[in-house]
Amino acid sequence: METANGARIDRATAAALAATVLMATALGLIFFYVPNDASEGYSQRIFYLHVPIAMTTYVLFVWGALNAARYLWTGDESLDLRSYVPMHLGTVFGTLTLITGSLWAQISWGTWWDWSSTELNSFLIIFLFYCAYFMLRFSVEPGERRARYSAVYALLGVGLIPVSVLAVHLGQDIIHPITFTRHGANMDNSMLLTFLVSLAAMLVLAYSMYEVELRGKRLDDRIARLRRLAREPAG
Amino acid sequence: MNGRAFRALVRKDLVLEVRGREVVPAMAVFVLAAFVLFRFGLGGETLAGGTRAAVGVLWIATVFTAMLGLLRGFAAEREDRLWDGLLASPVDRASIWAARTVSLLVFQIAVQVLALPVFWVLFLQQGRTPSYGVLVLALLLADLGMAALGALVAGLASTARAREVLAPVLFLPFAIPLVIVAVSLTTGTIPPQTAGSHTVTRLGFLGLYDTVFALLGWALFEYVVEE
Repeated sequence: METANGARIDRATAAALAATVLMATALGLIFFYVPNDASEGYSQRIFYLHVPIAMTTYVLFVWGALNAARYLWTGDESLDLRSYVPMHLGTVFGTLTLITGSLWAQISWGTWWDWSSTELNSFLIIFLFYCAYFMLRFSVEPGERRARYSAVYALLGVGLIPVSVLAVHLGQDIIHPITFTRHGANMDNSMLLTFLVSLAAMLVLAYSMYEVELRGKRLDDRIARLRRLAREPAG
Repeated sequence: MNGRAFRALVRKDLVLEVRGREVVPAMAVFVLAAFVLFRFGLGGETLAGGTRAAVGVLWIATVFTAMLGLLRGFAAEREDRLWDGLLASPVDRASIWAARTVSLLVFQIAVQVLALPVFWVLFLQQGRTPSYGVLVLALLLADLGMAALGALVAGLASTARAREVLAPVLFLPFAIPLVIVAVSLTTGTIPPQTAGSHTVTRLGFLGLYDTVFALLGWALFEYVVEE
């Protein structure tokens, strides 16, 4: 993409611009357009932030795991960072999911944490798993082995997600409000539009953060390599 | 998978344990100490007569004890340079993982043979008790899942800095769904409730858990030991 004066706009900048526009639109819709929820009133608007953030977290984790699988399959070094960065961002979005979920629980049920909420609890297990991913990654020396171990553990997470969701459902009563059913979304058109714009905003924001972080990490790698070369004796 | 190599590796682990007695006695003392700690930590009334809390104590102690077994993991192989010999020998990686899974499973069962009667004496002899048949079956299924996963996690932690701290951190998130369902399963058989579809579904979950992590362990272990 090029601007009027001929300067190139890269993917990260384009994504950041799109995220700014979408986020402003989403916030406008959430606070000035969408009607109050019939049962929960004004405070239910946190739904339009909490659920898109949670969905973005899952997308980031699956994206990270897919790149981990591709790394193990091909051995392409660049895929290690492409797997690590979504996992890192997923943990940031995951923290936001837990905070907004806790706020919603306080507003709806009068408690900061509800142990019988299946979504919150399965998300907590998965969040703990991804915290462990970082412990592993930073306990192994940088290099090929660290990339391999991180990829293996990321793929174990793919097994843990369905197992956790199923376990929490089998182990507890369900009282979390169900917004999406097998017959589609249980909300009117204005609510669905607000939700979809907010989801798009979160996804594009995550993508722009991914591009920026990936670029930073690559730069770090290049500088580290140059430093090593500079230390080596000439000839 | 190489059957002969697998049998030889399991035999090696069991013979080393019989001669050295490094893992099982430590796990047994640990589980007994955990029972006593829970008894004093939670209080007698909370745990009296086969309550959900008593069942929870058993399952949490089981998970922590299994964790102690995997902490030892591949430390012996790494320390004595056995690892290099193992990787240089014509043994496929899946056999190494399967052998470690089986030896961890045997250690866990050996500890539970000692721990279950003590658990009965301390927590279950008065009042309502869960179905022992379901409890034993659930323990076996959970042991298998934890051993399959434990062998892989032990491999991941074996070369890391502070591996003794890392192994439980890597393992525990996987134990949470297991404990949730195992406690629900066992509590569901305490009278007046009876074993029925509730039990079958949860036993099915434990079978699914074993299958998922056994498949992942078998497929991924190759990448853990690629040196």
